[in-house]
Amino acid sequence: MRIERVVLRNYRQFQKIMVSFHKRPDTDLNYIIGTNGTGKTNLLNALNWCLYGDEPHLSKDSQRLPLLNLRVVERTDIGQEREVAVEVWAKTFQGKPITFCRKSKFRKQDEREITHLGNVFEVMYEDDRGNTIIVTDDAAGMWVERFVPKSIREFFFFDGERLDNYFKEATRQNIRHAVFQISQLDLLENRVERKLQDIIDEITREAGRMSPKIKEARAKLKQDQGSFKELETRVGECLKQIEIAKNMINDYNDKLIDVPDVEDLENKKSSLEFEFNNTRELLLKKENEKNKILLEYGTILMLWDAIKKANEIIIEKRQNQEIPPPINKSYIDELLQNDICSVCGRQLDDDSRKQVQKLLSEVEHSSESNNRFVQMEYPLSEYIKMVTEYEDKVSMITRDISIHNKRLTSIENDKNQIDKQMAGYDKELIRNWYQERAKYENLRDENQQLFGRLELMLKNARDELEKSQKDLDNEIKKDKKVKHLYKKISFCERALKVAGTTRDKMMQETRDRIEAETKKYFFKLVWKKETFSNIIISDDYGISLIHTMGYDCLGSVSAGERELLALSFTLALHHASGFDAPIFIDTPVARISDVNRENFAKVLCEVSTLKQTVLFFTPDEYSFAISRYLDGRASGRYQLKLSEDERVAILEEL
Amino acid sequence: MGRVPDRLAIDKSDRALYDNDIIQNEIFEGKTRKEQFLFAMSIGFRNGVRSPLNVGDGFFLSKDMRSEDEALIDSLALFISESEDTLSDREEVFKIAEEYAHAGIKILFDDITSMQPGSYNKKLEVELASIIEDL
Repeated sequence: MRIERVVLRNYRQFQKIMVSFHKRPDTDLNYIIGTNGTGKTNLLNALNWCLYGDEPHLSKDSQRLPLLNLRVVERTDIGQEREVAVEVWAKTFQGKPITFCRKSKFRKQDEREITHLGNVFEVMYEDDRGNTIIVTDDAAGMWVERFVPKSIREFFFFDGERLDNYFKEATRQNIRHAVFQISQLDLLENRVERKLQDIIDEITREAGRMSPKIKEARAKLKQDQGSFKELETRVGECLKQIEIAKNMINDYNDKLIDVPDVEDLENKKSSLEFEFNNTRELLLKKENEKNKILLEYGTILMLWDAIKKANEIIIEKRQNQEIPPPINKSYIDELLQNDICSVCGRQLDDDSRKQVQKLLSEVEHSSESNNRFVQMEYPLSEYIKMVTEYEDKVSMITRDISIHNKRLTSIENDKNQIDKQMAGYDKELIRNWYQERAKYENLRDENQQLFGRLELMLKNARDELEKSQKDLDNEIKKDKKVKHLYKKISFCERALKVAGTTRDKMMQETRDRIEAETKKYFFKLVWKKETFSNIIISDDYGISLIHTMGYDCLGSVSAGERELLALSFTLALHHASGFDAPIFIDTPVARISDVNRENFAKVLCEVSTLKQTVLFFTPDEYSFAISRYLDGRASGRYQLKLSEDERVAILEEL
Repeated sequence: MGRVPDRLAIDKSDRALYDNDIIQNEIFEGKTRKEQFLFAMSIGFRNGVRSPLNVGDGFFLSKDMRSEDEALIDSLALFISESEDTLSDREEVFKIAEEYAHAGIKILFDDITSMQPGSYNKKLEVELASIIEDL
């Protein structure tokens, strides 16, 4: 199916516009250029609104505005009704016209309120005899499902801003589900398998009515089937959570590439600050110690000449025995009074007593000046000793101070380095990213553990279910009354098995085909031919892009290459599905760097030779790298502008 | 034996110098009055300047002096008077110490306030090193 034209009336920015998508024998590429706000994305919304009744790409600004065009609203009298209509004119692959049309009626109640009166959706097509048939509501919806089913429209109507995130956002289960639907395998499951199961259920119910034992076994089977299904759902949900968590972790890893680990740096800075304060305290302590030494030794050294001279006088006097021995008078008094030597504890004999009395006499009869000399003698000798230690003491403490100062400078430098690393970054945002990543890592780990437990439970439930099934089969088999029913059940079960095997086989074949087609498109379109060696789509639809070095590099390739893979996968899905629908891409190169834009332009030209391609560019996007390829290749070129009052979009063919 | 004064004095005008914030921060912080006095005295002696007190103002009690402190002021008195008898005249010994401290605290104040904050200790360290060198 090909969309020939889209007609919009009173839809958002579009008062009355018809976009015809031209085709040439060699290409089917149309593009529309428009600045932000002119309505490019709303053209995509208009397609969705017409076919599915919703607008999935609506911007926040547009969400605040009515569906009815603003100029029309202004020019409508109170109480008057107006209609919004979008028509999609298409042609089937047999070349027969088909038109999808959605209309919405509104009434202007007052200057502020517009009431929605209702929707009409109709499909107009030509039957085999050439008669025009119009169908509405559900019947019309069926035609849309044959055109592009709603559940897989994301593979046909793209938003380029999100294309790069395609493999991150689309979980394996979603892709699997899409393939399931796109390959119409759901018909086999929903219509054949479910019907067979219903028949089996009905027959066993009938058998149960004839035998209480069968009834009991059937109830047990039903119960086990319920438990098994519930567990299967839980396993599926668990896998989905793991997948979402993994995607989010990858997403945050991408965001955090080349971004400093703010939390780690802040922790380091905080440790440095703690060490800085401790070192500064140690430094202050050492400086105080040095200050004390300088003051203490300063007093002695500056008095050195006086100390030295006094000491010389004392030494001379001591040599000449002009000064008494350095003995404390009260100590001698005590000794004589107690008559016991305070050193050896022996009682003083006459000689000793005489000696002590002689000493006492010397001390008593010495002049006051000489006694002063005796008092000075010891402290001065200590000062002389102290002076010899001064240099060592000062140099040691100066060395300690220097070490602390160096450490403080080094810490200060480290802190500045950290500040430089963090400068210009939104710390709060980065911290939030780290926290979010940690949250998803926890979610992944928790669900992986849960998955392990659920798998075991599922295995047990499967065993139990098989046992219940056997028990029921045996009950039915041995009861003669229901022998005729047993044959029917056996037949249906065999048919069900065949249907299941067929479905699995078809699913496998579809997967193989999609994998082969994705590879074919990707390696045909990719500009770095030597970088990648393979694309693998696993049984559970996990997609791996294999580097020539042998590792999966999907997480680390450029946005352009990832977008190309998404596009290749989509083309493969189109091919596998048999839905020959067009592909619409809004802002296709928004996330692609200038270098790869040229490559991507070539890719889009290639795609347009395979299927109808409609692209919406901003003028910035439509740079020389794009225009040099697309200008000559496009079969239709348009420009979108806004009227002077910015109420209406104007479409000009270029 | 002569009268022993019960305290050592500074000139009344010097109290403000001893309590000056800059001097306190640079060298005297956490030091006793006795230590401050002896340091000022040693500076006066080192610079060979002695200055009589105009109005005496008791600074610390003489009983707070230990033998090692007394040895310093006795050495100074002995050196200046060149007479052993001075040692028995405690009033004279204290007077000599007070006059050198009076001169010394002014020198210290001028020194400290004429240089960058935090640099007095460096200067003192250099001066002490030169004394050590001459020993």
